[in-house]
Amino acid sequence: MVDKIKIENLSCYYNKKCVLDSLDLNVVENEILGVIGPANSGKTTFLRTINRMNDFDVTYSRKGNVYLDGDDIFDIDAENLRRRVGTLFAMPIPLPMSIYDNITYAPKRLGLVAKKSDLDGMVERVLKYASLWDEVKDRLDASAMKMSGGQQQRLCIARVLAINPEVILFDEPCSGLDPISTAKVEELMIELKEKYTIVLVTNNVKQASRVSDRTAFFLMGKLIEVDKTGKLFVSPKEKETEDYITGRFG
Amino acid sequence: MIKLSPKLSQKFSYALLCFAAILAIAPVLLIVFMIIKNGASAISWEFLSSMPKDGMRGGGILPAILGTLSIVLCAITVTLPVGVCAAIYLNEYAKDNMLTRIIKLAIVNLAGVPSVVYGLFGFGIFVMFLKLGVSIIAGALTLSIMELPVIITTARSALNSVPYSFREASLSLGVSRWQTIRHVVLPSAIPGILTGAILSIARISGETAPILFTAAAFYVPHLPYSIFDQVMALPYHLYIISTQIPNMPKNVIYGTAFVLLMMVLTMSCVAIFARVYFRKRRKW
Repeated sequence: MVDKIKIENLSCYYNKKCVLDSLDLNVVENEILGVIGPANSGKTTFLRTINRMNDFDVTYSRKGNVYLDGDDIFDIDAENLRRRVGTLFAMPIPLPMSIYDNITYAPKRLGLVAKKSDLDGMVERVLKYASLWDEVKDRLDASAMKMSGGQQQRLCIARVLAINPEVILFDEPCSGLDPISTAKVEELMIELKEKYTIVLVTNNVKQASRVSDRTAFFLMGKLIEVDKTGKLFVSPKEKETEDYITGRFG
Repeated sequence: MIKLSPKLSQKFSYALLCFAAILAIAPVLLIVFMIIKNGASAISWEFLSSMPKDGMRGGGILPAILGTLSIVLCAITVTLPVGVCAAIYLNEYAKDNMLTRIIKLAIVNLAGVPSVVYGLFGFGIFVMFLKLGVSIIAGALTLSIMELPVIITTARSALNSVPYSFREASLSLGVSRWQTIRHVVLPSAIPGILTGAILSIARISGETAPILFTAAAFYVPHLPYSIFDQVMALPYHLYIISTQIPNMPKNVIYGTAFVLLMMVLTMSCVAIFARVYFRKRRKW
């Protein structure tokens, strides 16, 4: 049980308004940590702090520390951090280019792949991994914008896999997807945890119970409880957790 | 006060609004019609390709065409890169601070300066102070300063129309900000930037005041050799032949106007086609 990410006393603010309050949390290597909680509980802020996408928001400020493999993430180069911590957004955002280029885009820019022939192999490997290869292998030059929502989300997963990160953050990855696509993405997440560490933020409590190893419950910017998923869903320690997972609010 | 029934007042206002809109077509048609009617007889290959003769009453207007083309080409070569770079900085990098606000204020003000003032400014700075003389380069620099705010504004709105999520998707993969701009934002913004640039070219081809003291000559007996030459320019030539030369054949005046108008309209058409072409190719 090695801690991949360690968060110590992290507080985040937008325009001085506290949205995440003295959070202490760890993410264990090769686990899926589910993060649940109602809207405005600070889940997305939590993710956007870990991959430092909030650096671009001028209203945002923070206190506390986050460590990735013991390195303070605010000390390492933000681009390097984001290469190690891949992100999947709620809405799939393919780049305005072909399916093939969407996947090779980042590896090319980051200089991860040297030869053209390596690129072809890499594209095939990640698309197969994201179980998208059979659907798109004949139209890799087609625009990624013309795919269905579920396909786009799997393309985005393939795109993240192409930069070979250590951690993958899923920000409500199935909120716009139909049940079949959702099942595919969930299956994929379970497969992925063998190689990657995963943080799954979700509005769907059932999804967290299906997929995650441990689950954390956030409410109004505070971490209420974190425990093994089986334990948290069966016998939660806190009353708020019980109310939320049994659907009494939120 | 007469009270119209709702139906009647609806019809009345529709007619009024429609009439006002149609009114906008009328000047365009009239201008084109008048110029073609009076000037078409002057247009010939010789008119476009030879030097003026008989104190400019005969011959062609080749030096003026080439003069205008070279000034405009130089101006856009200077103003487009500077303007696009400034727009990228303002749209992608600039934080909302004092400096940014001053820059934006300066751009707005630059756009409001009358063109003849640019002419005087260019004369003072480029012709006298930098000792470039009355020349293509002095005129081009003057025009490029005048066109800078327009290029910056159109380029900024082109950059702004690229969805922010594309930038986030690219950045989240560990790609740097500059690479994101270079490989995702710019390719998507180029159609808008190009259209703005072409319309700018069209606009500055017809400007007279800024080149009046900086580049244009009454008459030059040879074609321009270098960018340090004084040249004839179409708008200024038109002004001279319509006011300064007695017994000027009318069709030559209108013919010259026709050539200038065609140059501007052609570029506007190119801009429209470019926009349609890029919109079709756009992938989102």
